[in-house]
Amino acid sequence: MKSSQQLQSKAGRQSLFILRIFIFTLSIFFLQIADLQSHPTTISKTNGSKPLVKKMVLVPAGWYQPFLKRATNKPIAVKALKMDETTVTNAEFLTFVKANPIWRKTKVNPLFADKNYLAHWKSDLEIGTGNLNNPNAPVVNVSWFAARAYAQWAGKRLPTVPEWEHAGNGKPKDLKNKTLIAYILEWYSKPNPTILPPVKSTYQNQYGLWDMNGLVWQWVFDFNSFVASSDSRGSNTDEALMFCAAGSLGVQNKEDYASYIRFSYRGSLKGKYCIPNLGFRCVKDL
Amino acid sequence: MDTKITAFFKTAAYSALIGSGIFWASCQGSGSGNSGNNNVFARHWPDTVLTGDVTAELTAPPLVPKPLTYTSPKRVKVHMTVEEKVMKISDSSDYTFWTFNGSVPGSFIRVREGDMVEFTLTNSPNSKVSHNIDLHAVNGPGGGAEASNVAPGQSATFNFRALNPGLYVYHCATGPVGMHIANGMYGLILVEPAAGLPKVDREYYVMQGDFYTKGRFDAPGLQEFDEQKAIDENPTYVLFNGKVRGNAGKNALTANVGETVRLYVGNGGPNLTSSFHVIGEIFDKVYMEGGKDVNENVQTTVIPAGGSSIVEMQMEVPGTMNIVDHALYRTFHKGALAQIKVAGNENPNIYNKIKK
Repeated sequence: MKSSQQLQSKAGRQSLFILRIFIFTLSIFFLQIADLQSHPTTISKTNGSKPLVKKMVLVPAGWYQPFLKRATNKPIAVKALKMDETTVTNAEFLTFVKANPIWRKTKVNPLFADKNYLAHWKSDLEIGTGNLNNPNAPVVNVSWFAARAYAQWAGKRLPTVPEWEHAGNGKPKDLKNKTLIAYILEWYSKPNPTILPPVKSTYQNQYGLWDMNGLVWQWVFDFNSFVASSDSRGSNTDEALMFCAAGSLGVQNKEDYASYIRFSYRGSLKGKYCIPNLGFRCVKDL
Repeated sequence: MDTKITAFFKTAAYSALIGSGIFWASCQGSGSGNSGNNNVFARHWPDTVLTGDVTAELTAPPLVPKPLTYTSPKRVKVHMTVEEKVMKISDSSDYTFWTFNGSVPGSFIRVREGDMVEFTLTNSPNSKVSHNIDLHAVNGPGGGAEASNVAPGQSATFNFRALNPGLYVYHCATGPVGMHIANGMYGLILVEPAAGLPKVDREYYVMQGDFYTKGRFDAPGLQEFDEQKAIDENPTYVLFNGKVRGNAGKNALTANVGETVRLYVGNGGPNLTSSFHVIGEIFDKVYMEGGKDVNENVQTTVIPAGGSSIVEMQMEVPGTMNIVDHALYRTFHKGALAQIKVAGNENPNIYNKIKK
């Protein structure tokens, strides 16, 4: 009996060849994805590099009243968790990219970080000396994907909107006669500082968290889950109404301009964006 | 002698012919609607076949781009960048303005009816917050805002067909919209009618806006936005072109006696309606609310927040003409003053100060 290969015509062999190439390409693609998923553990196991120990503070359980008022909306319960005391710094992020070559600025997959990824760093493994480059300043110009990968590597995760907002609503320990909203609006009223200050340079809140507002914006896990479209005044989803003059009735506190801007900002993001005033911090379940 | 007489009669005959032609044409023109030359901005469905690409000329106030010379629809590229920047709101006070292209109001855009506008909005990487643009000249959801919410450092592009001729406000519509507008995020886009606008000697761009600061009028230093004053509609400043006396004194607009001046006037708000008036002049023509109908011999014209007007006046005598909001406390206490300095010879047949 002749083997199946011998029976095949020339055309058949060609199509088989194309099929093999296709499967080969596909498997490389899957391998890359698998690689991304598995990298954190494999890398830290193989070269022994570990995240710097970062102080986390306890944010007790509480309730988050969604910014948007809906007929069905109820306060959301937030479980107690641990949250990074400060945003992740340049120095900390450097440890991460040293351990994870795929997240170096020249190696990063463009699907997961735009061209501004770590744009302020001098090179793959050098922070450099520019205005954003204080080792203790928040790392900025990092995508959501990079922030998430960092969190996984550190054995943590990114906070959700309710978690971040609950923690961010913590009362400031010392803001000298200002409400938190007034403080945040004052931050908006000033241009980005030329030199990005280090972490712990603004205020500490009742949970011990530093710089929840007033230093940099921070990624959250579900940054795009809230705002359905970017100018939602005309849209028929109720999320949309919060941007409309009339629809401002649709938000919980229509004088909370600070939250408006935070939600508008989040709504303008995409996962691969890297922005000079956007950093992140991580959380861990108890 | 004979040839001179013949020439004279020839000239007279031609003049009569042309004159009667004009008379006939003007009668035809005034057959419908209001009196006079009023249908410049009448809407008709424009040609839609694009006949090439152009990049729009953009100007900072008080300047206006040159009248358009093309006569068929083009793809017009408009690129604007949002910049958050500290500028003088008065001689003593600084304010962090949020701007389209670095000025308050933002760049003047001039396109032609029927044009396909390819609008790109970039948010400067140094911006603190996200921004978008809603152009009132757009037929489409959010006036483009839906397609253009951009994070710092990012860009967005959308196309729209300029269907309705007229003068339109554009503004940022990112939440909280009122605050973005109160920080200076507005400007004007002129959709020229297909047949163009009547020629005038000078065109200027003037836009009113109200501003709300924590400190009092002209308080020294960098001033914060005051949310409560904005909610109370109690502005610290009411300004033309974003600065106290920004277009007065040595920065006044200029014209000569005998010239016709056209002002493209907008009101960004966010709150106040303007009682727009020029002290010492009468508007010969007002394209009311920036639309089709023309009113004549107007002293004060109303310009709503988020609305516009085009006014024309021939300058008969020399001197300084003060542009004001005739709700006059805004002018005398909150900065709503610009000036046109008119140069030329006195005309005692029109205005004469009797010396004793």
